[in-house]
Amino acid sequence: MIITTLTMRTRDPIGPHSRLPGLSGAESWQAHAHGARPCAIAGTRTWGRGLRRTRGRGGYMGGSSRASRPAPALRAPPDRSMGGFHPTPWRRHRPFRCPSRGRAGASHVTGNGAAPSGSSDSGPGRRGQALRRRRGAGGPELRGSRVSGAAETGSGGGPETSAWAAPADWPRGIMSVKAFRLVPAVEREMLMGDKVRINIECIECCGKNLYIGTNDCFIYHFLLEEKISATGKITFAATKQLYKHLGFKKAVNELKAASALNRLLVLCDNTMTLVHMMNLEPVPSGARIKGAVTFTLNENPVSGDPFCVEVCIISVKRRTIQIFMVYEDRVQIVKEVLTPEQPCAVAVDGHYLCLALTTQYIILNYNTGNFQDLFPYCSDEKRPIVKRIGRQEFLLAGPGGLGMFATVDGISQRAPVHWSENVIGAALCFPYVVALDDEFITVHSMLDQQQKQTLPFKEGHILQDFEGKVIVATDKGIYILVPFPLERQIQDLLASHRVEEALVLAKGARRNIPKEKFQVMYKRILQQAGFIQFAQLQFLEAKELFRSGQLDVRELISLYPFLLPTSSSFIRSHPPLHEYADLNQLTQGDQEKMTKCKQFLMSYLNEVRSTEVANGYKEDIDTALLKLYAEANHESLLDLLVSENFCLLTDSAVWLEKHKKYFALGLLYHYNSQDAAALQLWVKIVNGDVQDPTRSDLYEYIVDFLTFCSDQELVWKYAEWVLLKNEEVGVQIFTKRPLEEQQKNTFNPDDVIRCLNKYPKSLVKYLEHLVLDSKIEKEKYHTHLAVLYLDETLRLKSVATDSCAELNGVQTKLRSLLQKSDLYRVHFILEKIKGTDLHMENAILYGKLEEHDKALHILVHELKDFPAAEDYCMWSSESKNLAYRQRLFHMLLSVYLNPGPSDCELVVAAVDLLNNHAAEFDAAQVLQLVPDNWSLQLLSPFLTGAMRQSIHTKRMTQIALGLAEAENFIYKHEKAKLKGRSIILSDKKLCQVCQSPFCEPAFVRYPNGGMVHTHCAANNRLVNANMTHRFSSPSSQT
Amino acid sequence: MKKPDGKVVLLGDMNVGKTSLLHRYMERRFQDTLSTVGGAFYLKQWGPYHISVWDTAGREQFHGLGSMYCRGAAAVILTYDVNNLQSLTELEDRFLALTDSASADCIFAIVGNKVDLTDECALQPEAEDENRSEKPVTSCISTKVQKQVRMDDAIALYKKILKYRMLDEKDVPAAEKMCFETSAKTGYKDLLWHLQECLGLLFVLCHQGHLGSLKAHNHPDLLQIERKATLWTPRKIS
Repeated sequence: MIITTLTMRTRDPIGPHSRLPGLSGAESWQAHAHGARPCAIAGTRTWGRGLRRTRGRGGYMGGSSRASRPAPALRAPPDRSMGGFHPTPWRRHRPFRCPSRGRAGASHVTGNGAAPSGSSDSGPGRRGQALRRRRGAGGPELRGSRVSGAAETGSGGGPETSAWAAPADWPRGIMSVKAFRLVPAVEREMLMGDKVRINIECIECCGKNLYIGTNDCFIYHFLLEEKISATGKITFAATKQLYKHLGFKKAVNELKAASALNRLLVLCDNTMTLVHMMNLEPVPSGARIKGAVTFTLNENPVSGDPFCVEVCIISVKRRTIQIFMVYEDRVQIVKEVLTPEQPCAVAVDGHYLCLALTTQYIILNYNTGNFQDLFPYCSDEKRPIVKRIGRQEFLLAGPGGLGMFATVDGISQRAPVHWSENVIGAALCFPYVVALDDEFITVHSMLDQQQKQTLPFKEGHILQDFEGKVIVATDKGIYILVPFPLERQIQDLLASHRVEEALVLAKGARRNIPKEKFQVMYKRILQQAGFIQFAQLQFLEAKELFRSGQLDVRELISLYPFLLPTSSSFIRSHPPLHEYADLNQLTQGDQEKMTKCKQFLMSYLNEVRSTEVANGYKEDIDTALLKLYAEANHESLLDLLVSENFCLLTDSAVWLEKHKKYFALGLLYHYNSQDAAALQLWVKIVNGDVQDPTRSDLYEYIVDFLTFCSDQELVWKYAEWVLLKNEEVGVQIFTKRPLEEQQKNTFNPDDVIRCLNKYPKSLVKYLEHLVLDSKIEKEKYHTHLAVLYLDETLRLKSVATDSCAELNGVQTKLRSLLQKSDLYRVHFILEKIKGTDLHMENAILYGKLEEHDKALHILVHELKDFPAAEDYCMWSSESKNLAYRQRLFHMLLSVYLNPGPSDCELVVAAVDLLNNHAAEFDAAQVLQLVPDNWSLQLLSPFLTGAMRQSIHTKRMTQIALGLAEAENFIYKHEKAKLKGRSIILSDKKLCQVCQSPFCEPAFVRYPNGGMVHTHCAANNRLVNANMTHRFSSPSSQT
Repeated sequence: MKKPDGKVVLLGDMNVGKTSLLHRYMERRFQDTLSTVGGAFYLKQWGPYHISVWDTAGREQFHGLGSMYCRGAAAVILTYDVNNLQSLTELEDRFLALTDSASADCIFAIVGNKVDLTDECALQPEAEDENRSEKPVTSCISTKVQKQVRMDDAIALYKKILKYRMLDEKDVPAAEKMCFETSAKTGYKDLLWHLQECLGLLFVLCHQGHLGSLKAHNHPDLLQIERKATLWTPRKIS
C-alpha cells in the first residue's frame, strides 16, 4: 500500500496534511503516515509489515515527544480539524495492529512501567537525567525502555489521539528537538524492482549526483532534485541517469566521487578503479589500485594540488596502510606505513591517520610514523567507527556505546555522546552527531552531548554525510535526513522553555550562518530566552539576556498594563517574543509575583535609562519608571523627577494624581516649566486641601522654591500666602534670593517694603537684609530700620521686665546700627529718642553729630559707664587721624576732671584713663590739666608711658631721618656713576666756545656733555652767569 | 568553543563521588548523580584562563578512556572514598598508570570524599534524613562508621606518586597541601574551590611551562601562590 502512495508522494510537493481532505479512507491514513512517520516508510512493503510498524510509529512519537506528552486539551484541535474524517481509517487498522505487536508489544508494557514518566519530564535537565538513566541501564533494557517510551503515548493516550499526538509538523512546544526529518530519496523499485537478492552496498552523493553500488556489481547514477513545497517541506525526486555493471560477480564495496577530477573511485573486488563521473566509463589508462580492503579520501590533504586527491587504503598486505595520489587518469603511491596491529577502519586528516586496529584506536602520523594510542576496544565484539568530523578531530565508537571525540593530539575536547552498544554508523551534520543502529537513528548535539532526537529506523546499514547531507540507507532504499532549519529548532526549544539548549544551539550555529543574519537571529533568540527566564522570575538571567540581546525595553514594559504612555508608538515585535498578553496573564494574578516583576522592572529600567539602550524611547522608559515608583511608593520617584528625565507630562500627571503623589506631581510640573501649577498644588497640600505626606516641611520647601523662582509674578502671587503662614521664614523669598538676581535688582525694594508693611517682623528682616547684608546706602532704609529698631526697643521696654533677652537683642542691633551707619537721619532719630531713657543711643547720636562733649557728658554723668566712654572715644575716632583721637581723649579727661576733684569716682576714672591710654594723650597738655595735688606715684604709669612714648617717637624720627639721608646718598652715588664716563680727547674735538682743538689734557665739561678749554670756561662763566650750576669737575685724560 | 588553557582531570574508582564533587564545585550544592558514562567535562574560568575540568567514569568498562582524558592534563585529582580502603588502593593499582599521558609537570591532589559518613567528621551534615546514601555502595545508611582511610595513607600515596613520576618533593607542593578530605554532600571544605584558590594559577603556569622560569627569578606571582597555598593548610579532623 505504501509503495503506491510513495511514488505519488515523492512527486507531490504538498504536505500530507494539506492533502488529507482530498483523500479518503485508508489512503489518507497512509499519506499521513509518510509525512509524519518516516519509520513507516522505512522498508515497509507489505500490509503486514506496515501494520507491525504501527508500533514503530508509536516509537517515533514517543522517542521524540518524551519530554512532554500532549495533554488531551492540546490534542483536541487537530482531532477537530480533521473532523470525523480521520479516526475511521485508524480504527480500521487497529484490529490488525494489536496482534501484530506480539512480543515487542509485551515488552513495552513492562518497559513502560519501569521507565520514568515521560510526560512530567519537561525541563532539559530532568530529561537528560531520564535519558541517562535509561542509557545507564544499558544493554537489552535500553532497547526495551526506549521502545517503552515510544509505547507510552500509544498505551496512555488511546490510539485515536495518539495517532495525532505528534505529527512531524505539530506546532512547537510539545516535542523535544526536532532536528531532522526522514525523507525518502530513492525507492526500491527504482533500483532493483522486485529482485529480492539485490541489496544496496554503498552510496555516494556529490552535489546532485547520487551513486549507488549494489551487491550484484552495478553502479547506479541518479540525479537528486530537491523540492520545497508550499508549506516549506523538502522532498526529493530522484531520476535514474545510468547504471553500469562492473563486470565482476562481487559487490561494489565503496564509491567515492572526486568531483574536481570528474572521477568516481570505485572499490570492488579489492581493487580501486577510476570511472568517469557522468558516463561511468573506466578511464582509458586503466589506472587502478590493487589490493585495497577499504579506502578513504583525505578531505584535508597537506598537498594543495587541486588536480589530485589523496587516497588512503588499508592494504590486503598485513598491517599496511598505503597513501596514494590519484590523478585524472593515473595513481601514484606516496607512502606505505606499517601499523602495530591489523587496521580495520581508517579516517584521515592532514598527515594524521585515525585507525581502528584490532584492539585499540590510534592516531598515526604517516609523515613521521609516530603514533599515539587513544583507547582500547575490541574489534571482535563490534564494528569500529572512525569518522572524521572536522579539522583534526575524529569521532570514534568507544566502549559502552560511547561516541568518543579525539583530536589528532590524542586529546578529547568534548564529552562523549552515549550511543547504544550496536552502533553501525555515524555521521555529522553540524551541530549534530547522527548515529545509526539496527533500530534507530539517534541524534546527539555536539554542543552539549545530549541526545536530542530518536527516529526509529529498522534495517538501516549505511549512514553517511555528504557535504552536509546525511543519507541513510537500508538494503533496499535510500533516505535523506533533512535537517529542520536551525532557527525552527531553536524556536521549538524556546517554546518548551529549554533556554540553555536553545542558546547553545544558537551559538553553535554562528559559523554556519552569515554574520548579519546570525546577529539578528541570535539577538532575537536572546530576547525570547530572556522572556522565558523572566516568566519564571529568573530575573538575573533574564536581565543578562535582555542586555545581551539588546532588547527594545518597551517590549518588556508593554507586558505591564498601563505603563507605556498612551502616546507611545510602540508595537510589539512580530512574531511575538513571548506568549504573554500581559503581566496578569503571566503571573496568573499572583500578587506576590506581580510585585517581584515590578521590582525587577524598576531596577532594570533604572539601570538602562542612562545607557544607549534607552536611546530613542527615553520618554517611554522614564514614564514607565515613574509609574512604577509612584505605584510602589518608592523613594526614587522624587530623585527621578528632580534629575534629568523624560517623563511625559500628561500621562504621568494622571498617574501621579491617581496615586495621590501630589508633591511629586508638583515636581513634574516644575520640571515641565509649569511652576504655577506646581505651586498651586503644593499650596493645596500645605493648606490641607489634598493629602500627601511626602514632605512634612513642604512649606519651607515652597519658600525655598519661591526664593529661587525667577518668575516675579509667581513670587508676588504667593508672597502674601507665604508671609501669612510664617513671617520670619516667608520673608526669605525676598532676602535669600540668588546673588546674580540681586545684582540685577529684579525686585524693587520699595515694592517689597510696601508689601511687607503688614508684616513687621518680615519688614525688619528685609531691611536688615538691605542695610546690613546688601549694604545698600540709602538713607531711607537706614532710617527706616533704625526707627523700627527704636520702636521695637521702646515697645519692649514698656511691656517687658528688665534684662529681657529679646530687648537686649534689639537694643544691641539698634546701637550697632546707629554706630556703624552714617546714613540715617540723625536728628530725626534724636528727636524720637529724646525723652526716653535710651542714653547710650543718645550718646551715639550726639557722637554722630560730632557733639562729643554732649555725648561724653551723657556717658560719664548719666550712665557713669566709663568703659563705654572710653569705647566711645575709640570708635568715634576710628577712621580719623591721631589728633582727632587725642582731642576726644582730652575731652573725656576734661569731663572727668571738670566737676572738680571732689568727685572721687571720676578722679579714679581719670587716673585710669591716663594710665591705660598714655599713648592717646599729649603729655604736656595733660600735665597742665592735672591737679597739682596728685602724687607722682599716682600718675607714674602714665608718665612712664608718656615718656617712653616720647622717647620712642624721637628715636623713631631720628631713625627715619637717618634712613632718608642714607637713601638720598645712594641716589646721589648712582647719579654720579651714571654720568662719570671717560672722554677721549683727540685733535678732532673742538672747544665749544672757541672752536679750536684742545692742546693740553685739562678741559672743562658741562653737564650737557659740552667740552671747553679751561680758559674758555673761565671766560664763559663771566659771560654766562646762568651756566654756573654744577658741572662735572674736569675729568681727565684719554 | 574557546580552547581551554588547561585541563584538570578527576580520577577514581566508581562511586567515590567524583561527579558529586564536581557538582558541588560547579553549582555549590549536592545533587544525586547517576553513574557517569564515559566522561563529562565543564569549562570554568580561573582568572584569565579557561580551565576544562573532566569528570571521568570510574567503571572498569570505561577504564581504557582514562588515559586519553589525562593526556596533557595540568592537574589530576585522585579521588577515593574515606570509608572504602579499596578505593584508595585502586588509585595506585589502576589509576596511577593512566596519568602517564598527563603533562610532565602535572600536579596531583588526593581527595578523600564522604567524610560526612564517618564518625570523625567534625561537622554535622546538612540533613539527617534517612535516605542519605549518596551512593548505593555506601554501606552505612543511618549510622556513622569508623573511617577506613586515614590521611596518612593518602599522604603516603602522594609520596609514592611522586616517586612514580620521578619528581622531587621539593619541586612540588607539599603532601599536606595536596591531600584533602572533604564531603560533596555537606560541602565540608569544598575541595575544588580550595584548589582553585590555592593552585589555580599554579596549574596554568605549569601547563604553560612558566613555572621553571618563575622559580628561577623568584617571581612575585609564584610567591603569592605559595603564600596562598600555605594559607590553606588542611585542618586536622578531630
